[in-house]
Amino acid sequence: MKTFTIGGIHPPESKLTASKAIEKMPVPSEIVVSMSQHLGKPAKPLVKVGEEVKKGQRIGEADGFISAHVHAGTSGKVKSVKSVPHPGGNYSLSVTITTDGEDAWAEGLNTAPIDWKGLSKESIIERIKDAGIVGMGGAGFPSSVKLSPPPDKTIDTIILNGAECEPFLTADHRVMVESAEEVIKGLEIITSLFQGKAKPFIGIEANKPDAIAAMKKAAKGTGIEIVTLETKYPQGAEKQLINAITGRTIEEGQLPFDKGCLVHNIGTAVAIYDAVSCNRPLVERVLTVSGMEISSARNIRAVIGTRFSDIAAFSGGISEKTNQVITGGPMMGRSQFTLEVPITKTTSGILFINNAGLESSRERTCIRCGKCIDACPQGLEPWLLGNEAQFRRLDEAELYGLANCTECGSCTFVCPSKRELVHWIKYAKALVNNRKQRKTA
Amino acid sequence: MEPVKLKVSYAPFVRSKDSIESVMYNVALALFPATAMSVYYFGIPALLVTITAIASSVGFEWLTDKIRKKPDSCLDGSAVVTGLLLALNVPSSLPLWMVVVGSFVAIVVTKHLFGGLGFNIFNPALVARVFLLISFPVAMTSWAVPFAVDMQTAASPLGILKTDGMAALSNFSYMDALLGKTGGSLGETSVLALLFGAAWLFYKRYITISIPLSFIASTLAFTGIFYLIDPTTYASPLFHFLTGGLVLGAFFMATDMVTSPLSLRGQLLFGIGCGLLTAVIRLWGGYPEGVSFAILIMNSLVPLLDKWDLDEIKAKKQKSLTTA
Amino acid sequence: MISEAFIPAVTSLGSLALILGIIIYFVSKKFYVAEDPMVTIINGILPGVNCGACAYPSCNQFAEELVRTKDTTMTCPVGGADLAAKLGESLGIEMAEPKPVTCAVICQGNSDNARASAEYVGIQDCWAAMQAFAGPKQCRHSCLGLGSCIAWCDFNAMRIENGLIVIDKDLCTGCGACVPACPTGVLVMQQKKAERIFIACNSHDRGADTKRACDAGCTACQKCVKVCPEEAIVIENFVARIIQEKCTACGKCLEVCPSKVNCIVLEKDMVKSTNAS
Ligand code: SF4
Ligand code: SF4
Repeated sequence: MKTFTIGGIHPPESKLTASKAIEKMPVPSEIVVSMSQHLGKPAKPLVKVGEEVKKGQRIGEADGFISAHVHAGTSGKVKSVKSVPHPGGNYSLSVTITTDGEDAWAEGLNTAPIDWKGLSKESIIERIKDAGIVGMGGAGFPSSVKLSPPPDKTIDTIILNGAECEPFLTADHRVMVESAEEVIKGLEIITSLFQGKAKPFIGIEANKPDAIAAMKKAAKGTGIEIVTLETKYPQGAEKQLINAITGRTIEEGQLPFDKGCLVHNIGTAVAIYDAVSCNRPLVERVLTVSGMEISSARNIRAVIGTRFSDIAAFSGGISEKTNQVITGGPMMGRSQFTLEVPITKTTSGILFINNAGLESSRERTCIRCGKCIDACPQGLEPWLLGNEAQFRRLDEAELYGLANCTECGSCTFVCPSKRELVHWIKYAKALVNNRKQRKTA
Repeated sequence: MEPVKLKVSYAPFVRSKDSIESVMYNVALALFPATAMSVYYFGIPALLVTITAIASSVGFEWLTDKIRKKPDSCLDGSAVVTGLLLALNVPSSLPLWMVVVGSFVAIVVTKHLFGGLGFNIFNPALVARVFLLISFPVAMTSWAVPFAVDMQTAASPLGILKTDGMAALSNFSYMDALLGKTGGSLGETSVLALLFGAAWLFYKRYITISIPLSFIASTLAFTGIFYLIDPTTYASPLFHFLTGGLVLGAFFMATDMVTSPLSLRGQLLFGIGCGLLTAVIRLWGGYPEGVSFAILIMNSLVPLLDKWDLDEIKAKKQKSLTTA
Repeated sequence: MISEAFIPAVTSLGSLALILGIIIYFVSKKFYVAEDPMVTIINGILPGVNCGACAYPSCNQFAEELVRTKDTTMTCPVGGADLAAKLGESLGIEMAEPKPVTCAVICQGNSDNARASAEYVGIQDCWAAMQAFAGPKQCRHSCLGLGSCIAWCDFNAMRIENGLIVIDKDLCTGCGACVPACPTGVLVMQQKKAERIFIACNSHDRGADTKRACDAGCTACQKCVKVCPEEAIVIENFVARIIQEKCTACGKCLEVCPSKVNCIVLEKDMVKSTNAS
């Protein structure tokens, strides 16, 4: 069993929905499609209030190189185009669509599968770009950009990330079990872009034996290697995953392709397959709805733009003890201030929890126990970064590797003094950014 | 749907169950066998010393928190551990008011004047012990005899060795030392009970093996060399292991998180330093026992040892900045 | 008997002291830095708070630079006109008079006016809160009320009152250190005037959204723009702004603002009459 070399923690797995089959959620009466569902500049809205849209119609145009198109998740009428709450914690320009219930595809989309092997490399990437596909694990990096690395970098390793190391989340797990074929085909499409020079891997944590079995079966004879990974957080973080599978270390300031690697998410692979062979844009995704406070935790396939409140209602409602709603996993997710936010391309899960720790977790001084150092997968000194941040010694913090922190949260998890270490780190990063902007301005 | 009141905080939303309390109370629990043994051997006085030390430490903690206008930390367990360690470091015959003075030195002077838990440079209980030892040398070195009926006192084996030499130790029994049936402070006696507690801390992963191991190993190695040279003047390493505060110091005082280095290299150097100093003081120093002094001296070097590591990180980064 | 113990101790310590003393003497000789006595004088005049408002990292550096260049345009905003006069006197030059500025808070979203969003639990700092979400108030352009800026003020002029930053006008020196410390940008520097009118709202949301979020919000209704005889009010990005150079402080706009809590405020600054001449 492979794993990354330094640090790591074992949070309770809490995979309540591991054996629940994916259910399709009906399209709600209103969806909110955000223009910022990816890394980089928000897309430019292409529709006006009152306009009729069809399912899959492009309603947001990528603005710049690192940006992605956005599509309507269903057919209906545009109700408004304005800034509304976004699951990232802030507001973003979004198109609200009143659905007509017909769910009618725009012309030319969602065709019968074609044989993608006949397509050229350029047209494959073009299709991926047109479909607005972004990394669906969380960061939302536009896939078409990721798949066209600079010509001076040789990619020899392609990894599909099936680790899903975050507690609670089981969306990728279920996709691997239920749509093993599509995952493999998606990976084959990706691999084909590198003319067979790159070796494909799928890394899966050992706590998903059914997924490993399903993938092994589907991958037979394709040359794809299924790697069983130790169950340890953050096994699914890009840098850690690369380290676990290839033994290479991504240094500060480097990107995976600097070390010949390319990592894609399971959901992204399926989306790529859909886009390339069926010309289907990214308009729905699988996500986990879980947590102790939701009546029926489940995995659902929902239209992108479905509001959290609709999802909560679909899953039987939430208990009044709920005090936090989280997008993503409990380690790196974001806490929401309203249930009116919609899911986006990167929403891998929604958790409804009662975080009892909120009242009692008062930050105290570091007792120098060193647990955070042992936990940090990036080999940093989180206690030190936290202290420097707290006293705004930004230069010092940068010297101690501030930029190298992947914000995995392992340090905060283990700290017995309940120090808000990653939050301090994030805070310092924000101040550093602000300082840079002011200097250049 | 009825809207719920949401709270926003930053990730992660799950936290480990470890807390300052859990760490401290586990240390206290680990010290329980040794404390129980000492009460068994020395009777009621030992119990009184222990209770006084803990109660006064917690009291002083509460008081300083009030004066410093800090949130209450008197129940977070650190004061309990300090009190308990202090009690284990003094003889059972010590007048109780001296115990209270010791707690004052530990909590107020050593901990809070330096900024409170996490900022103290020296181990509070050890400073208190050394303070008492220097201020009240007689009271601090009259060790009660186990199972004594009247207030009979005797020197500790290390004390006998220091004053009377090897010859006086002819009827020393290793077995008694292991079980703790020798003169000494409360916690210095039963090595077995201490090891039992230490095992619990290892199991719970609250201490790492590096410090105790390097500490004890270097003491044994150093005393062993001299034992090999001249067994008639120098006691055997086993004797040094079983007597005095070596085990208590190595497992419970040197491993104090606040006052020990963070990196493995620092911890090993720290342990070796402690061991060498202990051996040197025991063999040639003016005091029969050197564990407390050794740990305190090494405590003062901890910031330096830490800085070494951090400077390396910085230097590496600076180098990469200049080459880039 | 006594001398036996004393002599070695006294001689050894004594000679040690002597040797160290000699070393210190030579070191201080060798590394003596000649300092212009003028710099010391200027330093004595300067406030000595090292606030950085003059764009020099410390008062001392300002003094050195001033003595070296005798640049009459160099100003210490903190000391104002009085200080400029004193500096000029010592240096025998005519120093330019600094324009006195002060800090204005363009938000009135205190706990009564602004509607709260979700409760925030975590590091009590505006920048930290911004990392988690858009802030504890529904208006995301508001003063978040966690007081990140307070630490930047060297003059103790800031405090949080009822969830809103309040500036003590008497203590604010106009150094501007707090301005970049605010993540939402509700702190702005304005030139002091006997009567200064400004719009105390920073909300770039549309009128309806602003109104829903805050009682003291500018909805960009244009009423003040229309009433202003000097055409000193413009609407930019859904919020009104007063062009200070044009404003005569006639106060007409104050009467027409339809917001529940008037989002136009009038401040009276202490302006030295000597400045006018
Ligand atoms: S959040 Fe950053 S500092 Fe903390 S453990 Fe993860 S990588 Fe290390
Ligand atoms: S885990 Fe917490 S208490 Fe321990 S060293 Fe790190 S910051 Fe300090």
